[in-house]
Amino acid sequence: MIDDRQSEKSQKKWGGVLLNLTFLIAFMFLMPLAHAELELHITKTTQEGIPIYIANISGGANGIIEADLKRSGRFDIVPRSTIANIPPMGASFNAGSYQDKADFIVRGKQAADGGLSIELTSTSDNAKTFYTISTNTNRRRVAHKAADKIYEKITREKGAFDTRLAFVTVTNKASSNRKFRLYISDSDGYNPQAILTSREPIMSPTWSPDGKKLAYVSFERNSPAIYMQDIFTGEKRLISAREGINSAPAWSPDGNYIAMSLSINGNPDIYTSNVASGALKQITTSSAIDTEPVWSGTNSIIFTSNRGGGPQLYRVSSNGGKAQRLTFDAYYNSAADVKNQKLAFITGKRGSFHVAIKSLGDTGRDILSNGPLDESPSLSPNGAMIAYTTIRNGQNTLSVVSDNAKSRQFLTSPAGDVREPAWSPYLR
Amino acid sequence: MVTLFTIEYTQGEYNMIKQVKPLRTVRQFFIPTILSLLVVSGCAQNDKGKLAGANKGGVIKSETNTAGKAGPSSGTIRGGGASSVNSRSQEGDRANFNYLPGNANGASNDTSDITMAGLKDPNNLLSQRVIYFDYDKAAIRPEYLVLINTHAKLLAKYPNLKMRLEGHADERGSREYNVALSAERAKSVKQLMGANGARSNQIRTIGYGEEVPLVTGHGERSWQKNRRVEIKYEGIQ
Repeated sequence: MIDDRQSEKSQKKWGGVLLNLTFLIAFMFLMPLAHAELELHITKTTQEGIPIYIANISGGANGIIEADLKRSGRFDIVPRSTIANIPPMGASFNAGSYQDKADFIVRGKQAADGGLSIELTSTSDNAKTFYTISTNTNRRRVAHKAADKIYEKITREKGAFDTRLAFVTVTNKASSNRKFRLYISDSDGYNPQAILTSREPIMSPTWSPDGKKLAYVSFERNSPAIYMQDIFTGEKRLISAREGINSAPAWSPDGNYIAMSLSINGNPDIYTSNVASGALKQITTSSAIDTEPVWSGTNSIIFTSNRGGGPQLYRVSSNGGKAQRLTFDAYYNSAADVKNQKLAFITGKRGSFHVAIKSLGDTGRDILSNGPLDESPSLSPNGAMIAYTTIRNGQNTLSVVSDNAKSRQFLTSPAGDVREPAWSPYLR
Repeated sequence: MVTLFTIEYTQGEYNMIKQVKPLRTVRQFFIPTILSLLVVSGCAQNDKGKLAGANKGGVIKSETNTAGKAGPSSGTIRGGGASSVNSRSQEGDRANFNYLPGNANGASNDTSDITMAGLKDPNNLLSQRVIYFDYDKAAIRPEYLVLINTHAKLLAKYPNLKMRLEGHADERGSREYNVALSAERAKSVKQLMGANGARSNQIRTIGYGEEVPLVTGHGERSWQKNRRVEIKYEGIQ
């Protein structure tokens, strides 16, 4: 036990040094390289959303805002050629004369320090709203924050563009030089930074509710263990390396617990671990596979179980007790995520696996993806978009689809597989 | 004869219940139990005559079948389309091996020829270290009973010998469910080995899910090769 703790400590120390080095290297070399590593493709956008025109903004923030609004599936971006000669921000113009072309017109100006001034004008009543976004070391975040303001004003729902994605990449997967990497990027795939590299599998990243830490599964000791890691300092802590599986961590909304699937009692069951004390509590006791827990509020956990034969979703109190089955209408339902009263999950029918979404409490569900091997859905914090893994050209690829399926975007890597997206909470 | 077998079944089942804990559901517990009973009391005794005769008479074909068509290969109990990857390097079809340990001198309980050397002999069943599974199942297919039993006897004979059972799943379904499924597959093999004399502390099980595929294709032929448990002896390639 003492030996374990010592080796854990030294591992932590060296892990920290290594991670700091990783960050340095990332800042110095990786960022231009990483841009080439992930490529964005917007394959489908709606023509049915709210028509909005974004005028040119020096510095190019307009392009980022347009892409964000498109991704939500709620806007139709009016092409630049349709509206010409909009005067720059500050100069007066009659928005009403563009009413047949756009519902809203956005003008903006970049400040000398990189901040943004944004003006949102409704063409129906000429009403103007102004926003000032302060600068940030990541200039793209300034534009994402502007997109969030515009989105919230028009849809009355909080925007989630200024957020992050965590995901796992695999390169050289067929060779002995195979590498697994845990990445963090902006929500649109830009600024990817690797925070962990391993020859053994890395799986199941999940965010702390403050958006500062990730928990994940790593096989780096040749057996699965759950770690948590500070994304800024690189500090890493072992959460669970018990006999059997240590799988599927999920942080509670209050940040106090991590739910997980362990098999210390013989078969995989759901447990919660107190982050501060490490105290473990068994939540489910079936003799079947119970895994993939996700918190629905702080009092309830939704998970996958094959207790009824095949995998289906169940709900149980976070104190344990009797579980209630939630899904009935396909032979395979699994991998739930819950945000903003929406439930996203994988549904399998006739050997094909798709992302589905439903409102908690409602019956029925909508299929959002084309399959055939989609997995790992993760909802944006406002529930308006879902990142998931799909297969394109034989490789795992990230896709982001709007909850109305009207917009779909792919994030591919020419270097290998990209998978298991985890959408961060709102950033503070 | 019938009476004799009945008595053995009863005895075997009693022993099994004592050994397997915690008690599994009917599906998870009953099938491996029945299968291992076949090995313990039925097959092992029947096999001798059957196989010896078969080998001499050439009834069991030793041809390989990698064509991907589900065609029966004589001499084995079929289970779930295993024949799609039915070659000696990939499949635990004992009919494909020139030498089946444990049948020396015509006595099924004689383990004098189950030796470490067998691990390195490509013609010996012990060189076969992969067990394949049906989709979304952790139950052992009947054709692997002799293979697993033979490895278990080797462990029983060499108490210092240790192995890792590495479970894997195909890419279908969700990744974390597949981790659990693959761990259950490794556990099924461990339980069966335990029922055949291996000690619990000789075997470690790991579930890798779909993270480490053997082949990277996206079709049933690839999937079948990826739904597997790999036997890895410590310190032995």
